[in-house]
Amino acid sequence: MDWQLIWLFLQQGVASGLVTGSIYALLAVAIVIIFKTTDAPNFAAGELFMAAAYVALYLLVFLALPFIAVVPLSLGVAFIAAALFYRIVLQKIGSSAAVTVNVVIATLGLSFVLKGAVRKTGVGDVPRSFPSIFGNDTITIGQAVLTLQDIGILALAVVSMTIFFLFFNFTRTGRAMRAVGMNPKAAVLVGINLRRTRMLIWGLSGLLSSLAALLIAPKILMTADMGSVVILGFAAAIIGGFTSLPGAVLGGLIIGIAENLVGLFISSRAISVAPFVAIMLVLVLRPQGLLGGKVAVKKV
Amino acid sequence: MLELKDISAGYGRINALSGVGLKVDAGRVVALLGANGAGKTTTLNCISRVVALTSGEIHFEGQRVDRLASEDMVARGVCQVPEGREIFARMSVRENLEIGAHLRRDTAVIRQDLDRVCEYFPRLRQRFAQEAGTLSGGEQQMLLIARALMGRPKLLLLDEPSLGLSPLLVEQIFAIIRQLNKEGLTILLVEQNARIALNVSDYAYILENGEIAFEGNSADLVRDDRVRQAYLGA
Ligand SMILES: Nc1ncnc2c1ncn2[C@@H]1O[C@H](COP(=O)(O)OP(=O)(O)OP(=O)(O)O)[C@@H](O)[C@H]1O
Ligand SMILES: [Mg+2]
Repeated sequence: MDWQLIWLFLQQGVASGLVTGSIYALLAVAIVIIFKTTDAPNFAAGELFMAAAYVALYLLVFLALPFIAVVPLSLGVAFIAAALFYRIVLQKIGSSAAVTVNVVIATLGLSFVLKGAVRKTGVGDVPRSFPSIFGNDTITIGQAVLTLQDIGILALAVVSMTIFFLFFNFTRTGRAMRAVGMNPKAAVLVGINLRRTRMLIWGLSGLLSSLAALLIAPKILMTADMGSVVILGFAAAIIGGFTSLPGAVLGGLIIGIAENLVGLFISSRAISVAPFVAIMLVLVLRPQGLLGGKVAVKKV
Repeated sequence: MLELKDISAGYGRINALSGVGLKVDAGRVVALLGANGAGKTTTLNCISRVVALTSGEIHFEGQRVDRLASEDMVARGVCQVPEGREIFARMSVRENLEIGAHLRRDTAVIRQDLDRVCEYFPRLRQRFAQEAGTLSGGEQQMLLIARALMGRPKLLLLDEPSLGLSPLLVEQIFAIIRQLNKEGLTILLVEQNARIALNVSDYAYILENGEIAFEGNSADLVRDDRVRQAYLGA
């Protein structure tokens, strides 16, 4: 392999990697905000993502609504569904002992319910493709070639993550969310409503998953199992340290790029191994993840 | 201003408080003393609506409040300085203070209050941009008091403000507590350090195993033989 080809592959791998990586980053952020504030991973994240894509598909193809209506509707449905799941199911569990285990089981339960629902409604029984708003024209950056759709995905993901970070760091509600993640006991004493704040966080997490779903759906074939993509969101979260939001974004981009480089330099059949090699490398070199801070010893 | 009527509370099967009655009149400093595990923190957490009552009533400014949510108590002006170092460690000192005013919407006044609380604790001003988790123990205690003040309390609940501080810092903190009271703030002070607590307070209650064992004017309790033996080591 000559240097010119290597240079070309590098450019293409990074460019394409940033596109898919930005979607993993969104998913990782959705996972991390829940983990930080609920102390349990949301194992239904994948199925929320999948169901959100099907909601959008349903509105768009079966009800023939225009994109301009489908986007806010799908985001809204995902927000409300996730918030209600927290409110109705998790709130009940929260008042009993062994909270973490029960939360995990409840989120697994939700994932089965959602998958079953999509399979049984006749929308998800055959693979479908999701229409794209961006054309398939291509743009060349350096020597890397991206479709307009890729550019659109990357731009929308970056814009929405920026909005999210501004909200999270500079608004009153965002500050309350961070406070609940850091010290729920103190948060209660300054007058923050834990239940409402956590509900909002779940809603927001649902919204981010659904955004990721809308962005990636046109690039993939939709099946009821498409939620497995979210495993890469978890991988990104782990690489970033699992409690760090910037870490989650960084992890997402690293995985996206690693996948694409492996696909170009080694073999497209090796792509699915790339994220796990990346996880192992990071965990061996920095057990706390890239931006995870010290390994936390939990006070009991 | 505040009245607890015969309150009981517990954790699961453990009974922490049984039939506690207590009154705090406006403008006063009332001390709540007792050994480890006597139920002092539990009492404050009942008032802050963090721990549920099993029986009894709590009245604040003439209204029954024992069914309210914790944020309603803060909104009514009952702010707690918790024991331990319950700060928001990864936020800046400034954000820790601002979040004390979480329920307030008067942005302009909040900014003035930020200056005002920093007059009590000039040290915090110098550390404004620093992460709160990097403050020393004493500075964190100051931050906790200042954070509670940012909520514009009418009644301040202080849980062992002297814990783990050097004698000099304890003096400083109690000087500020006195000053706050002089400026009109009503204070319910939980302490292990009975000597200093009886010294700043007007009235005191002593908890033993979740029940009020003694109460009286602080000046009288200091002279009471039983209290002296059990709590003042004399
Ligand atoms: N979260 C909890 N779960 C179970 N038991 C608790 C809990 N918090 C307090 N207790 C118990 O309730 C009783 C009263 O505790 P509390 O914290 O009110 O004591 P305290 O007077 O504040 O003591 P200290 O001076 O050590 O802070 C103790 O026996 C304690 O073990
Ligand atoms: Mg205590």
